[in-house]
Amino acid sequence: MEIIVYGIINSITLSLISLGFTLVYSISRLPNFAHGALYITTGYIAWLFMNKFEGFPYPFAIFIAIAITCIIGALIYRFILIRIRGMEISEIIATYAIGLAILEGLRWGGLRGMTFTLPTFSAGSVNILGTNIDHQRLIVVGVGICTFILLYLFTHFNKIGLALRGIAQDERAAMMLGIDSDTTAIISLAIGSGLAGFAAVVLLPLGNIIVEAGYNVLIFAIAVCVIGGLGSWGGTILASFIIGFAQILTEAFLSSHYQMVVALLAIIITLLIKPSGIFGKQKELEERV
Amino acid sequence: MKRLVYFFLCLFFVLITIPGPVLSAEKPIVIGAPLATAFLYGWDAERGIKLAVEEINAKGGVNVAGAKRPFKVEVIDTRDLEPGVPVSEALLAVEKLILEKKADFIIGGPVRSEAALAAMDLLSKHKKVSIVTTGTLTPLYNKRVADNYNKYKYCFRNSNSSLNMMNEFITFLEDMKKSYGFNKAYIMVQDVEHARKGGEFMKKGLTDKGWQVIDMKIYPTGNTDYSLGLTDAKNKGAQILFIWMDMPESAVLLKQWSDMKIKAIPVGFVCAAEQPGFWKATGGKGEYLIVNLCNGGNAPAKITPWTMKFVEAYKKRWGLEPEGYGTSSSYMAVYQLKDAIERAGSIDPEKVIKALETQDLMGVYGRMRFDKSHQIIPSYDPKEGAVTCIFQWQAGKRVQVFPPKVAEGKAMLPPWMK
Repeated sequence: MEIIVYGIINSITLSLISLGFTLVYSISRLPNFAHGALYITTGYIAWLFMNKFEGFPYPFAIFIAIAITCIIGALIYRFILIRIRGMEISEIIATYAIGLAILEGLRWGGLRGMTFTLPTFSAGSVNILGTNIDHQRLIVVGVGICTFILLYLFTHFNKIGLALRGIAQDERAAMMLGIDSDTTAIISLAIGSGLAGFAAVVLLPLGNIIVEAGYNVLIFAIAVCVIGGLGSWGGTILASFIIGFAQILTEAFLSSHYQMVVALLAIIITLLIKPSGIFGKQKELEERV
Repeated sequence: MKRLVYFFLCLFFVLITIPGPVLSAEKPIVIGAPLATAFLYGWDAERGIKLAVEEINAKGGVNVAGAKRPFKVEVIDTRDLEPGVPVSEALLAVEKLILEKKADFIIGGPVRSEAALAAMDLLSKHKKVSIVTTGTLTPLYNKRVADNYNKYKYCFRNSNSSLNMMNEFITFLEDMKKSYGFNKAYIMVQDVEHARKGGEFMKKGLTDKGWQVIDMKIYPTGNTDYSLGLTDAKNKGAQILFIWMDMPESAVLLKQWSDMKIKAIPVGFVCAAEQPGFWKATGGKGEYLIVNLCNGGNAPAKITPWTMKFVEAYKKRWGLEPEGYGTSSSYMAVYQLKDAIERAGSIDPEKVIKALETQDLMGVYGRMRFDKSHQIIPSYDPKEGAVTCIFQWQAGKRVQVFPPKVAEGKAMLPPWMK
């Protein structure tokens, strides 16, 4: 029972971490390697508001932190990525450099040590079918499911969401219908960054806000997206469950220190068997052409 | 305009007549401090070294054969605690201190054991006396000195070694066994060399003493969920949860332990729990955790008359209590060096080595003497040797609970274990 419960929690955690990365790539074909840095930035901004302004309400701190991260994401595209759009290697180098600059800048600016934490939304734990689960992890599950549903509704029933999907499906056709490619890319970067930030405020109360977590988040986001198929939402969720359960099974039956090995091994196996990922179409199309 | 000129003249007069700190005009003795400054073990050591240097300089400096020479500190970031940074980075930092900054002595790091071991050859090559004060716990460090004295005689360590820490843990747990009848332990360690070795040593040590070690779980660095291991420990009736981790995420383990009300008391080397801010960071969920801080004085305690003087001076200078491992030892290393130079009457490495080898100084955490392998002699009695600090988080405070001679309180059990 513990394996099922903690497997689900771990899987939803992974998908929350990866959704922002997938969204940006699926819409604008931009691999946002600053994803992990934006995750930590949101946590740190929320922490600053909570700790530098006495009595600042937690929900407002969260809201402002996510809003700032959205703006940072949009600015990254508007002032940097717009100039190198389409040059894949440059995009990777630029976003990774931005991520490095943000993370090391935060470290230099004072994010050092192990005492930077956000409070949990609810303290305590419950026993479900003999398995003890803390409230925050249950909230992670609930928030994760709600996020999937809201994102689906946004991209299927909202005008902006539909425009984003249009660009994702066929950029040229969408542009002919009056959808501006750069505007949608700015929106996608803003939403993707916001999703990274949203994952941070939900997940960071479980641990500490540390610079190194930014790198780990990026590794897991890439692992999930590569296995699921770059840019595929369904693939992201499925891959999260595959890696999530594989890690828990590894911990239960093998040894916990092989967890990272499992994630990386899954990438290698996927690339060998299906280079485009489980639901990825890109490579297959290229091969057919 | 006239008034303004008068004002500046008066200001100038006041400034030149204010007595400044007593500083010697003699050439300063340069202490090179290679430290991972972005990490607790680096920045706290830096503060300790600077505090001692400021105190010594304020009193006129070091008496070198009649001439008063001040200390000067040159700190360099070795980055050796950062993931993925190769050992060569730390070696370059040490070499830069020696060649560019003209360091006469090295105090502090490198902090990571692997880097400190690699730096030994460099120190030997440049004949620089070094006192390692933080991070490096491996027994191999002083073993190398013992095995090849002529080459590595420049290397000293005034902080604890992991081998001795294990013996301290086992003695402490044996006391817990007598008090509460505990005999089942569950080990959780981080997937890094020192922690794995620590876990294996504890497994063997406890088994030899008649304990039942249920399991030993090794977690990758950055792990943020310990539920399965904790559930396993709970189901198998563990009474002691032995933890050895230096990653920040170990705070998650403590939070989960508290939320799940595991009937096993956590004991170990938990870097995240050393700092005074740990209490607030975990919302008090780290209460009852027992941590080894390697040396006394890294948390407030009355070990020797100097301990609380150091703690108060540190608080006055830096605005908070000493935060963790490496603080008191780094502070003491400067005083040990001063004592050795003054007794040697020179900064000549050979003479300073002899002076350090024959040193007998009552310091912040007990009597400071080096053994033949240049390792500080440990003891449970501050009158006999360097004393450790095993403390427990109790009501937001770090209360020293071991060794008994300097304990300020008894180890307590959480309410759900009674």
